Parts: sequence; structure tokens; C-alpha cells
Amino acid sequence: MYKSVFVWVWASLLSLAGCNSAAPPGPAADSATPAKAAAKPTVAYVTNGIASFWVIGAKGAEAAGREFGVNVEVRMPPKGVGDQKRMVQELLTQGIDGIAISPIDPDNQTDILNEAAAHSKLITQDSDAPHSNRLCYVGMDNYNAGRMCGQLVKEALGEAGGSVMLFVGRLEQLNARLRRQGLIDELMGREPDNTRYDAPGAEIKGEKYVVLDTRTDQFDFGKAKSLAQDAIARYPDLGCMVGLFAYNPPKCLEAIREAGKQGKIKLVAFDEDNDTLQGILDGDVFGTVVQNPYQYGYESVRILAGLARGDQSVLPQGGFMDISARKITKDNAAEFWQDLKRLTEPGGK
Amino acid sequence: MKKTLGILGLLIAVCVSTAALSPNFLKAYNVENITTWTSLFGILSIGVAFVIMTGGIDLSIGSVVGLTGCLLPWLLVQKHVDPVSSIALVMLVSLAIGLLHGFLITKMRLQPFVVTLCGLLFYRGFARWFTGDETQGFGNGFAGLRYLAVGRVPIPFVSGWHLPVPFLIMATIAVAAAIFLNQTIYGRYLLALGRNEQAARYSGIHTDRMIMLAYLICSLLAGLGGILFSLEINSIQPSGHGDFYELYAIAAAVLGGCSLRGGEGSILGVVIGAAVMRVLYNAINLLGIPTQLEFAIIGMVILAGVIFDELVKRLAARRRTVASPAQATPPAAF
Repeated sequence: MYKSVFVWVWASLLSLAGCNSAAPPGPAADSATPAKAAAKPTVAYVTNGIASFWVIGAKGAEAAGREFGVNVEVRMPPKGVGDQKRMVQELLTQGIDGIAISPIDPDNQTDILNEAAAHSKLITQDSDAPHSNRLCYVGMDNYNAGRMCGQLVKEALGEAGGSVMLFVGRLEQLNARLRRQGLIDELMGREPDNTRYDAPGAEIKGEKYVVLDTRTDQFDFGKAKSLAQDAIARYPDLGCMVGLFAYNPPKCLEAIREAGKQGKIKLVAFDEDNDTLQGILDGDVFGTVVQNPYQYGYESVRILAGLARGDQSVLPQGGFMDISARKITKDNAAEFWQDLKRLTEPGGK
Repeated sequence: MKKTLGILGLLIAVCVSTAALSPNFLKAYNVENITTWTSLFGILSIGVAFVIMTGGIDLSIGSVVGLTGCLLPWLLVQKHVDPVSSIALVMLVSLAIGLLHGFLITKMRLQPFVVTLCGLLFYRGFARWFTGDETQGFGNGFAGLRYLAVGRVPIPFVSGWHLPVPFLIMATIAVAAAIFLNQTIYGRYLLALGRNEQAARYSGIHTDRMIMLAYLICSLLAGLGGILFSLEINSIQPSGHGDFYELYAIAAAVLGGCSLRGGEGSILGVVIGAAVMRVLYNAINLLGIPTQLEFAIIGMVILAGVIFDELVKRLAARRRTVASPAQATPPAAF
């Protein structure tokens, strides 16, 4: 009896191993390539989580890898800061030539970031860690992007103004904080100052606009939707919802549609989720502010490839490469979406 | 019924106090939302209740939800399999998972904790591998299928109020489960073996078969829950979908009167337990309590509820002792 069970377990393990070797070529297969294959340097592209946004970023990183002759290892930490730290340590252990990272909690990750900077070439992308020893930052100015988002909210609500509820995955991240602050400052008509911080949990009242609160879901998609539902239930005359991470607006949109409040509650988005873009074309999403993750990946790897070969001239002036954000509304959504599809198609450039 | 009184009291207390403080709580829209989420989590909780009644545990529920939740849109959207075969295939996978758990626990005599913990890791990893970590979703299509999760059925004679379709599904499952547990001999076997497996085996019950059945039901309902969750949420992240849901399910089952030592439990209690959890989440948002306190408040209220329930039971036991000293049995160990 037991003999047959062991045979069965062993056989299933073997067949699993077989499945693995038959894996289709992709990021996983790339990362299995030995780091020292030929004399090609190997650089890493580390994200802050798993999202379609990062799939586009990885495509840009891989394209630059082909163009500038480096191996690219993409790492997407599924479980937050602890996972990201482990992945960076593993990369350092394998002697990686350069790391581009989107730090999840920059203020508290200085140790691991400096460790990486000491043993490899470290740059930040998407979200900056200004207090670490990173060589440069590739990304957009999140505070300005937040102000852009605020302009969209103003356009959506019109002269009358109204109440606004914010939704975001996590507020520990610098990019989330800056976007939120830029948005609030724009709505309150304040002078630009990216060091200001209004703590969440209290209403912020301006002349025309009221920012009710900021809801965080810690990347739980189900929770993101139920938080939007709860906001609709609690504030019957809610004017506008803003989703600050890529997956937030589609969840808000679902909640708005199920409540039959299309048009009554305006929705302003961030990033370029397919559902968000479709929502703009359908007229249920007013507009979105998009970054350029493809370019983040591409420029990060281009800089790391240069650094790995000892070329310091690739570093941008002032340690900041600005890849600015854009506003997408009904006017330019179709065109933007087409470009995006071209970029993300297999083999697309 | 008596066992569920404590938890029902807790549910009513939370509902009444929230309704008193927030006029939006009892609006149709909000009640329908809470009912939907309660039903989805309730389905998982009913499943795990069967396993808990046998004295076992299933930690893999969240990962099974993740796996089946990814598998369905993957089959439908990426592989263009027709909806009926897709659902059948997904249910078959959950069935196989349940059988595997049951086999390893009864025939190989492995501990349920270990078997299902490994399941938790394996199913999550497998889901992330076959999807390549790409978010899965139904897009704007499959409206008919999504009706199972987001559909609303009008309540006759009550305008403006609807019953969410997941509630009807959950209610059907709950009634079937309650009949199975209370009205069939197999349900009694299940409870008997949970209290004392050896005694049950010596009295001629096929305990292995019953335990296997419990794990089968649990995984099957986790799979069904996974399908409904994915239809409700629409975009499913392989790495995070369903994460932690086993603990919500277990908490609801225990809150509803299932003893982790086995042999006790009621389906109605489990459903009410699931409702308490969802109402608490909702109340925190509606009342404007800082969301950072969410887990702290839920933990505190549940603990208070369980302590209250225990005190009521002891009081009742003491009264019985005083009332009929002749038949008094010593109270259970405190």
C-alpha cells in the first residue's frame, strides 16, 4: 500500500519537474539564464509589486537589455517590503552588476538600499529614495502628476465644486503620498510645496472642494471594491472619486456602475489600466494621468548598462531623469491606447 | 439553535449600533453590498465548518480561491474554452484538491495542518506560474456569467430592494448543508467522529470516508467561492487574490459555534459569523473610524463576543446544576 503511495508521490514530483522545463519563454525563463553567461553584464529591474503596470515596465527593460547588450532580470515582490528586501539580497548574492528599484517604503529601507549601492550600482525608478546612496532617479515628479490629477478633478466637477474621496493601495509609498499631496494642494489652491503633508483621517475643506478622506486597501482588490461601495453608501452626494494606483479606478468604476451612479459620481484615474481606458471611451471615467512605465524600464536599463561598463556619462544631470506624466481624456484616449497596445504586444517596440 | 443565540445577539448589537449612528447603514444599496460579501465569505465558511467539525483544519482555502479564481478567466479569456466546460473543469480541479487532502490525511495519516499548509503554498505558486503573474479578468464580457456574482433579483412587493444572486446561492448551500448535518445519518457520523474518532470507528462508522467527504466539501465550496469572488471582483491578481481568506472563513466558523476541537457546529451560526465580520468592516467605514484601527476593532469585538458567549454558557450550566442537583453533571473543565 505505502510503496504504491510513494511511487505515486515520486511520479507526480517528476512530472512537475517536467512541466517546469517545458515552461514557455518569458521573464521566468530569462531569469534562469546563468548570470555569468558570456561576458554580458547582468542588471536587475525590481518593482514594488505585481501589476500590469510593471509588465509594461519589464517590456521596456527587456527591450533596452537587447539594445544595449545586457541580461535583464525582472523581480516583482508579491508580499511587500520583506519580499523586496529578500530579492535585493539574493541579487547581491549572485553578484548583480546593477539594480533599478522602485522602493516600497524608501524612508525605512535606507539600510538595504545603501547595502545595494555599496555592492552594486543602484538607481531608483518610479518612486525615489532621496536619502539613500542611489546614483539617480528615473521617473516622473509625482507631486506634479498629482497636481495634474487635481486639474482633471476640477474640470470634472466644474464651477460648482464638490466632495472628493481618494483611493490608493498604500500610503507608505512616497509616490502615493506625493500624488495625493499634489492633488490636495491643487484642489485647495495652494502654492506648490512637495514637503507639505496632510495626514489622512480628517476632512480637508477648501473654498469649492472638500477632500473627504483617503482609503487604503493594501493591494487587496476585493477590499478596494468594497471600500468604494462603502464610500458611495456613506456619502450619497459624493462628487468625485480618485483612484491613485492603477487598479483602483476600475474597482471604483465597478462600484459606481453597480450603484447606477454613472455621471453623478465623477471618476478621475491614475495610470492606464485597460478598464480605465475603456471607461474613458465609454464616458464613465473623466480622465487619467498616465506615466510611462515602458520608458522607466527602458531608461533604467540603459543607464545601468552604461554604468556596468564604467561609463558615468549616462547619469542624468542633477541625478533625476524626468519622464513626465500626461493627461488622457476622451480626446486622446483612443490614440494613446493604440500606442500602448503596440508597445505591449509580444516583440513590440 | 441555542448555540447561535450569542453570535446572533452580537450581530444584532453591531447592526443596531451602526444603524443608530449612521443613517446610510440601512439603505438598500449598503445592505445589498454587505449581503453579497457575507454570502461569498459565507460559502467558504460553510466549507471549512465541515472540516473543523471533524477536528481538522484547512489552511489552503485562500489559495484554492486564488487558483480557481485565476483558472476561470484564464480558461475563458485566454484559452477560449466555453463557459460550461470552464466551470466544470474548475470545479473538477477543486474536487481533485479535496480528494488529495482527504487521501493524504486519512490514508497517509498526515496532519491536516501540514497537508493544507503545503496546499496553501503549492496552489498559490501554481496559480502564479501558469498565469505568468499577469492579472486575469473578464473585461467587459461574460455578463451572463458575472450575473452569478453581481446580479440582483428584485424582491416581490418591496420596491427598491433586491436580493443579490450570491445570497441565493449561499442560502441554497446553507440549507442543503444544514439538512445534511442535522437530518441525515451521515451528518451525525461527522459530528460523532469529531468528538471521538476512535469511538466512532469502533461503533462501525467509516471514519476515513467521512473525513474525506468533509475535505471534499470544503475544497469544492472554496472552488465555488473562488469562481464567485473572481466574477465579483473582475480583475484577479494571481499573487494576492484570496490571500488570508482561510482565516476569515475559519474565524467565521469558530465565531458561529464550531469548536476547533471538533464535534460541534451549526450552519446557521457559521453564516451569522460571516455576517458579523462583514458588518464590522462596513461599520468601520460608515462610522468614519480610522481605517488603520480596522483589524484592532474587529479583533476586539470578536474577542468580546466570544467571552460573552462563554459567560452565558457557564451561567446556563450553573442554573441547570442548581435546578436539578440530582442529575447534575460536573461542568466542563474551565
